Order: sequence, then structure tokens, then C-alpha cells
Amino acid sequence: MSSGIDSADVQEVQHSESGPVVQERPDATAAPPKLPRGSRALKCGLCATVVLCLMASLVHVLLVFLHVAPANTVSRRYSPLINSWVYPFFEQNWRLFAPDPESVNRQILARTAHTSSDGSVQVSPWFDLTAVDRSAVAHDPFPSHTAQNMLRRAWAGYVDSHGGDDNARTERALMMQKYLSNIAADRAAARENGPFDFIQLRVVALSIPAPGPAAGNRPPTPAENRLLPWWKVTRYGK
Amino acid sequence: MENEAQRSAATGVDRWLADRITGVWNLLTGRPVSLYAASVLRIGYGLLYLIFLLREFSHRDEIWGPGSAWTPALAHQLSEQTGWFSVLILSDSRAYFELCYALALVTAALFTLGWRTRVLSVLFAVMVTSFHGRAIFMTDGGDNLVLLMSLYLVLTACGRRWSLDARRNRLKAARTGSAPERVGSSFARQLRDARTTLVTVVHNCGMFVIAAQVCFLYGSAGLYKVQGAFWGGGTALHYVLNLELFRPWPALSAFVDEHTLVVAVAGYLTVLLQVAFPFVLFGRLKYPVLAMLMGMHIGIAVLMGLPLFSGAMIVADAVFLPDRCYTFLPRLRRRVVQRTGSGRPAPGAAARPGAVPAQGGPGGAYGSKDRVVLTAGRQSRSRNRASGGSSGG
Repeated sequence: MSSGIDSADVQEVQHSESGPVVQERPDATAAPPKLPRGSRALKCGLCATVVLCLMASLVHVLLVFLHVAPANTVSRRYSPLINSWVYPFFEQNWRLFAPDPESVNRQILARTAHTSSDGSVQVSPWFDLTAVDRSAVAHDPFPSHTAQNMLRRAWAGYVDSHGGDDNARTERALMMQKYLSNIAADRAAARENGPFDFIQLRVVALSIPAPGPAAGNRPPTPAENRLLPWWKVTRYGK
Repeated sequence: MENEAQRSAATGVDRWLADRITGVWNLLTGRPVSLYAASVLRIGYGLLYLIFLLREFSHRDEIWGPGSAWTPALAHQLSEQTGWFSVLILSDSRAYFELCYALALVTAALFTLGWRTRVLSVLFAVMVTSFHGRAIFMTDGGDNLVLLMSLYLVLTACGRRWSLDARRNRLKAARTGSAPERVGSSFARQLRDARTTLVTVVHNCGMFVIAAQVCFLYGSAGLYKVQGAFWGGGTALHYVLNLELFRPWPALSAFVDEHTLVVAVAGYLTVLLQVAFPFVLFGRLKYPVLAMLMGMHIGIAVLMGLPLFSGAMIVADAVFLPDRCYTFLPRLRRRVVQRTGSGRPAPGAAARPGAVPAQGGPGGAYGSKDRVVLTAGRQSRSRNRASGGSSGG
């Protein structure tokens, strides 16, 4: 407490001293005209920069807060401003396993088709693309992003851009479809020997049983079984 | 009388406001805060990214290269839509990519070591941005945090401690000894001072933004969880433990999952810690909370196979440890070394006058040193209180 009063007194003294200085200033500037003006400009510039830095930090923090917080009246009103500042580099999403963690394990299956020269179509049996990821993650203390994130996030992006049906209506939806099809085709090619021109995906989501003894009685029910259309693949046609 | 009272109240408010402004000004321009924490962030994120790049060495073409499923054409298209900058999409050739990858390794290593840190911090930010943007649909929360921090670290003076720069400056200072500083005109000196102040201000603003960013991370992660029925019901971690892609040790996950009570308590504790995080930072309670968060992250790293994500979070938490925690670490190590090696005194130790009595008896030495540490702690605490009082009163 006492130190606060002291510092305030000191300030007041400085303040009262600055009074006469102002009156003397014309003389002082007249004698060496260059130096004080330069240093005064420097001081002003420095003050302005410090205030600018502080304001920039506060504005950044505020805009990031509005971006992170749930949509509210403020963030809806200023969304163009917030988006133009935050995107693309400061985009963030901390809904880690929230509001609820996923209660399903997704299995993404694929099969390929090849049209031979005589016109007959050979369709391969279904194989599990996710199984590759599962076996890569098992007993690895530092799993690769290719196993944990690649297919999982590609599917999430596909669902985000497509919704329930499989018609790509936006540019982004087309891009996600291409991405998913490329991942599937790469994995199919690594697994199969023959060439193929088409690929089809099927996504089965198996719900994780609720905890407790009752869980053992019920078999895991597929919460979702989605069959996607055949997609043309150009990479592995031959 | 009333006028008098009003005027005195007004001057009180004025004085309080002036004090506040001077306080903030001094805090902002006085000295760079938390230089050790900034260096820990530099070392932490530099090392994490280096490890990440090396971990994905065999998958590098699949993730960032021209052979990835997210083809160069798609990356170009997305970059046009979002305006993301990435040096990796400047060319589709494999050789160019390999060169970028090698340069990224070198950048991360040099940034970690703190060699020409300011320049390297810019290069590191460009590198992380490029690699993140090239494979944006393969990133997770950990990558996102590393990206943000690499951008913020450009603002900070993160090479002042525990770096090659610091070592070079120390050697230079020792070589020149107490030789007088080169004297320029007073304006040149003012210019130098202004530059120093500017660097300090930008550093302090950067550290403030980093701290606020970490608070938002935990705050929003916690508050979104509060809305979830699984977290409220105490079963959320049961579902997390059963996600196949986040279960590197199925037997261990199953073992933890069997203990319903542990799962429920850990789930509640996670939410509470995350929500409480921004509010405990200004008191002593932050140390147990940080320790518990670290335990939580280590648990996530092992149980869920997310060491990169957990590492990024642990490094972010380190920003809240004050400098005296970091200066205490080398002292503690030295003390341990001294105590274990007390049978044979080091040749250098005998020369120092203070070291000799400390080695007299194990009990006495221990006690006297502890007292020194304690009083130092108390002094700094009382100083903090004084400054708090001055800004409040």
C-alpha cells in the first residue's frame, strides 16, 4: 500500500516539474534544433508502437476467443471480421472428445472392379481398409499419422462436405471424394495384384457397448451401414 | 463539502488510473518476462517437430510428398480456396520435396539448439506452416497447437536462455571483459534503447498471447465437455478407451476400462481440471493442477498412442512456470551432484569461498542451504505482494 502512495507522489512531483519545462522548451529547441526533435519523434514513435502492439495482442486474443467460443450473438454479428482474421492460420478447434466422444468404431471396406478387354467385369471381394490402420497402431508407442488420422479424417471430411447422400454438390465435396477414393485406391493397389478401374466403399459403424454387465448380452449392433457408389479410378487402370 | 469529496474521489480515480497505466507500461516495457519458459517452448516444439518428421520418415511421401493421396493438384486447389501458404506446393517434383524435407529437419534441429534464433524462428514457422498446410486433412489437435505456437514464437525472444546464441554472447562478454561499450552519438544510443524496448514489448505481447491461447484451449475443451452426456454420466473415458485407432495396448486399455470407478473419477477430474485451468493460474494452486494435467497427458500419450499431442500440451503448460522454477533446476542438480560427490571435493569447489562450509556436515549443510532458498522465496513473494498492492491501491 505504502509503495503505491509513494510512487504516486513521485509521479505528482514529476508532473509539477514538467510545468516550467514546457515554458522553457522554445529556448531548448532553438539551441540544438535537430537532436531533441529526432529523439522526441523517436519517443512518440516508440509509444505508438507499444500501444499498437498491445492493442494488436488484445484484438487477436479477443478474436480467437470469439472463434473458439460457441456461436453467440457477438460472434454471429462480427463473423466476417473474425473469419478474415482467424482463417486460415489461426483456425483451431479444441472440441477434443467433446461434447461426447465417439461411441462407434468405423470400419471402412472397399472392393474393386476391373473391365477386361472382352467386356466382362470382375469384382473383387470386400476387404477392410481400417484393419490396416488397426494393425499398424497395435503395439506401437508412437503410431503414424497415416494410421491414426489419414482415413479417419478423410471420412470425416467426406461426411462434412456431403452429409447423408453421396452426390457431391460443392467443390469441396468433390475434392474430399477424390481424396477418399485416392486413399482407398492406393491401399487396394498395395494389396491386390491386378489392375482395376473402379472402386466402391462401404462404411460400417459398430457401436461400442455401454459399460456394465448388461453389455455382454447384446451383440454389437451396426449403427450405420452405408454403401457408396462406384467411383472411377484412373491411377491403377493400366 | 460534497464538491470537495467529489473532487478528492476524482483525483483518487485519476491517480489509480495513472498508477494502473504506469504499472502496465512498466510490465510491458520493463524487461522480457519468462525468458526461460520461452526457451522451453522453443526447445520443446523444435524437438517435437524434429521427432515427428523423423517418425514419419518412411511415410513422408505419403503424407507431404507428390505421391500423397491428397495430390499436388488438390493441394493447389485448396490453397487457392483458403489462401494457405505452403512452400511444398511450389513444385511437384520429388527432388524438390526431398530437399524441403531435409531443410525442415535442419531447421527444426537448429531452432531447438537456438542458433541465430530469431531468423530460425521465422524459418521454423514457415516450415511448420508449409508441412501442416500440405497435409491439413491428416492433422490433429497436437499439430494444430504446434502450428499456433510456431507462429507465436516468432514474436518472442526465445533464444536468450539455454541456446547456442546465449552461449556465444556469454563467451563474447567474457572475451571483451569489462571493456567500455562502443560510444555513439546520444541519438544512436537512443535508437538502440528504442530497439531494445521494442523487442521487449513484442516478446511480452507474444508471451501474453501464448498464455491466453493455452487458457482458451483448456477452457473450451472443458466447457464443451460439460455439455456432453457421456462426460456427465462418467462413461466418456469408457468410450475413449474402446476406440480402436487410439488403443495401442488393447490389454492395458481393457484393464483400465474394467475399473468403472477409476474411469468415472478420471473423467470428472479431466473436465474439472480443464475448466478450472484458466482460474487457478494466478495462485499457488497452479502447481498441483499443472502436475495433475501432466499426469493426464502422460496417460493419454501411453494409453491412446498420442505422444505428439501430449508432448505439445505438456510443453504448452510449461509456459506458466515462473523463471525461478527453471533456475532452481540446475541448482538442484548441482546440489545433488555435490551431495553425491561430497566424499571427494571437486577442485573448482574448494576455490569458491562459499562452498567449503557447506560441505562440513551433511545435516548442517542441508539445513543452511534450505534456509537460503526459503528466504529467497519469501522475499520474492513479499515483493510480488508489494507490487500487487501498489497497482491495487
